[in-house]
Amino acid sequence: MYKREFLARLREGLSGLPWDDVAERLNFFSESIDDRMEDGLTEEEAVEELGPVEEIIAQIIAETPLTRIVREKVRPKRRMQPWEIVLLVLGSPLWLALLIAAFAVVISVYAVLWSLVLSLWAVEAALTVSALAAAASGILLFGHGGLLRLTLFSGGSVLAGLSIFLFFGSRAATRGAAWLTKRIAQWIKSLFVGKESAI
Amino acid sequence: MDNQMKRGLLDVCVLAAIKDQDSYGYQIIKDMKPYMALSESTLYTILKRLEAAELLTVRSAEHGGRLRKYYHITDAGRRRLREFKVEWREIISLYQFITREEDDNV
Repeated sequence: MYKREFLARLREGLSGLPWDDVAERLNFFSESIDDRMEDGLTEEEAVEELGPVEEIIAQIIAETPLTRIVREKVRPKRRMQPWEIVLLVLGSPLWLALLIAAFAVVISVYAVLWSLVLSLWAVEAALTVSALAAAASGILLFGHGGLLRLTLFSGGSVLAGLSIFLFFGSRAATRGAAWLTKRIAQWIKSLFVGKESAI
Repeated sequence: MDNQMKRGLLDVCVLAAIKDQDSYGYQIIKDMKPYMALSESTLYTILKRLEAAELLTVRSAEHGGRLRKYYHITDAGRRRLREFKVEWREIISLYQFITREEDDNV
């Protein structure tokens, strides 16, 4: 790939970011390619050394805070015409509702995800408490039949086993949910970035 | 390596790369190459952060018919390097503490 193509693809991939930021990055990469060529590399080798352009774009987007991306997206590129403002206001019952609905969907996805995790931990806690209670009463219920105490104690042990087993499951689920949370946030970010060029 | 720790270390590495004379992006990457592979995007982020923290300043100068950005360490940047040396001694003593614990367990 040549320098021009590399920079064009980088610019396209970052089109949702603030323009001055993108321009500065493009200059930085352009300078780096020129310096490599001065060092004796061919243009293609110089571009190759920078790494895959898709990875560079992904890294930059991951490092940019979502608030910054949204702020850039929301800022109008030109002054709005009076009729556009009128339309915007008149249409607010529609788009405002849609916007709120979109937010609600995202929040409910997160809520469902984390309530699943929470319920797993609740079961885990219940198992642990009942295991301890059963084992303790098996030991401490003096004056009752040995069979009852033995049943309680062995029941407690089974519960304790289940509790340990579920602990690892719950931990894995928590990690999975955290990973998903991050991925969903990244996906929302990617909706804001890099779509402009497609329109 | 832990991300937070790596970030702090890389900041100091870049400051060290420009402490003797002003340098530019590709030169910094070349200077660090024997010690660590540093990508352009990573370096850019570090330079931006150091500039915002006023640990370095940037100037553009003509070079071979084009502009090149040179990075210059500030007094605050030099102070940061000195602080790092002190902090590192503490880290080394902590490291000795940590590994001693390990040896006892074996």
